[in-house]
Amino acid sequence: MSDAIHIERLHYRAGKTFEIQELDLHVPSGSIYGFLGPNGSGKTTTIRLILGLLRPLSGRITVLGLPMPEQHARVLAQIGYVPEQPHLDTTLTVRELIDFQAAFYPRWDRARAAELVERFELDGEHLFGRLSKGQKAKLMILLALAQRGDLLVLDEPTDGLDPVVRRDILSALVTYVSEHGATIFISSHLVHELERVCDWVAVMDEGRLITEAPMEKLKHGTKRLVVTGAPAEIVNPPFRLLTRESANGGGAGENWVVGDWEPGMTSYFESVGAAVRDVIDLDLEDGFVELLRSFRKGGAGR
Amino acid sequence: MIAMFRAVLYTQWKWSRLIVVLGTVAAFAIPLLSLQGAARADRGALQAQELLRAVQSWGTLYPLLATALGLLMAIAAWAADHRGRHIHALTLPIERWRYVLLRFGAGFVLLAAPIVAVLIGSSLAALTATLPPGLQSYPIALVVRFAFAVFVAYAVFFAVSAGTARTAGIILGVIAALILVQVVASIANLDLNLMNVAQTVLLLGPGPLAVFTGRWMLVDV
Amino acid sequence: MFHGIDPRTPIPLYVQIAERVRLAIATGALGSAAPLPSVRQLASELRINPATVIQAYRDLEAQGFVEIRHGAGTFVRELAPGRRARERSHQAVALVRKLLAEARRSGVSVAELQRALETELGAKAT
Repeated sequence: MSDAIHIERLHYRAGKTFEIQELDLHVPSGSIYGFLGPNGSGKTTTIRLILGLLRPLSGRITVLGLPMPEQHARVLAQIGYVPEQPHLDTTLTVRELIDFQAAFYPRWDRARAAELVERFELDGEHLFGRLSKGQKAKLMILLALAQRGDLLVLDEPTDGLDPVVRRDILSALVTYVSEHGATIFISSHLVHELERVCDWVAVMDEGRLITEAPMEKLKHGTKRLVVTGAPAEIVNPPFRLLTRESANGGGAGENWVVGDWEPGMTSYFESVGAAVRDVIDLDLEDGFVELLRSFRKGGAGR
Repeated sequence: MIAMFRAVLYTQWKWSRLIVVLGTVAAFAIPLLSLQGAARADRGALQAQELLRAVQSWGTLYPLLATALGLLMAIAAWAADHRGRHIHALTLPIERWRYVLLRFGAGFVLLAAPIVAVLIGSSLAALTATLPPGLQSYPIALVVRFAFAVFVAYAVFFAVSAGTARTAGIILGVIAALILVQVVASIANLDLNLMNVAQTVLLLGPGPLAVFTGRWMLVDV
Repeated sequence: MFHGIDPRTPIPLYVQIAERVRLAIATGALGSAAPLPSVRQLASELRINPATVIQAYRDLEAQGFVEIRHGAGTFVRELAPGRRARERSHQAVALVRKLLAEARRSGVSVAELQRALETELGAKAT
């Protein structure tokens, strides 16, 4: 099974300060791939590079088996894109925008577009500029879904929207995946939404990819450990040490945050003369925060 | 491809319909207005002079209208794209140059309306007017010239607005540089007249912009 | 039936879904030959990955509780009567284990727990 998106050693720079370095990314076909990262980490830039809107300095980007940006016209016929900011003409109506889009995509699904207009409660005669933020987002999602592409690329699609709209959008996306087996690449900082729906997740910070793993592994592999008696230097642990600090009140030992944890790994501690007093589960958001902290400290995790 | 062109044409029409409608009305009116004095049968040689003067002065409106139509249509074609920072057009499954061509063609199709209006207006004016002896009407030549002027104006302004802000900046930069050099030359008392040179090259020479200068005569000897 | 599925607990979502189905089967809420919601419907309602639902249904099929009929949907199997009773007792044991673990964490002794249980049951009977 090949990747829907395959990025190899990507290097891109904009201006003097922002740079994406040595980026390797693999989005398996048919997966729902979550792309997490704080603002300014390079998520939107990476998406623009994937879509051929920007040209990398070096490295290779392959989308749906074809190189980007060289084959952008062919590839874009299979990609439904929803950008962060509304990009459609404010002087056209909902109906006009739908008709315009339909003319460019041979696989356009007229029935699906009509069904979504009703489901999203959009009025065909309203001007795009007059729609609420939620309605604009719904229309952009509608256009992306009606194109019937094999890949959906969504940049913060539910950011700033109320919970009802977010649910409607997520439902529509999930329904699309059930019916088409499409791949979805979704960047967001709403970690809890991604947690429910993604089977792969990648975390980006400061232009670098910190981690890329199946969702279950990241979620359940990130734990907080209470450790006593550990030596100052540890060599080749089977897990990934993210942070290590003393717990409050000296005798209580240390708090370690680790990634890639598996239950049998307590034996490692025994082998270095230490003991694990407690293993605390961390949800995705906590795990994500710890990963970032460790990465930024330049720390033990790398 | 045809479906795409229709979609592009529709949006172009929506953005520019006011310009097209007003331009068509004006294009229809100018030839008629220019010959409005010619209905009276009792004209002699002196009236011919008067008529020619009227035709010539109304005639100055043709190049102005052509330029305005070209400019406004070019702006209408790209305003929405610029507002959205080109993202929508660049993520359509079509090469950029193809999309540019579709927009160009759509503007051109719409500009046919005022051109046809000049044809109808000038033919109508020529038919209903009673011309003094020695004068003839040239509606076809006028229309052809008008069409060409519209095409050139549209092409030039379209090229500027289709580009990025950077291209437009370069063009303006070149113009600014010319002006600056001219000013410096004047201060240094150098005998350099760039404006004249530019004018000669662009407007009088056998270049496309020459179509705009000279007299636009529906009726002439 | 599926309300309260929590992606934040360490129990994978597909396991949570399968558990709910087993519970419903054990208590009779889902009778023999009853249809389970379609993958598409359940995924859309819960806003989770359809692959998660598929995995839950496949596990249930492997355990012998349901039958996946391609094109028609997923249906509860005809269960041997002892099976249901066994499943119910599994559920009961799981509940008790949870209760005991909570009690341990909160420092409530087994004796205190037993007394509370008797009081509650007694209160219900009157």
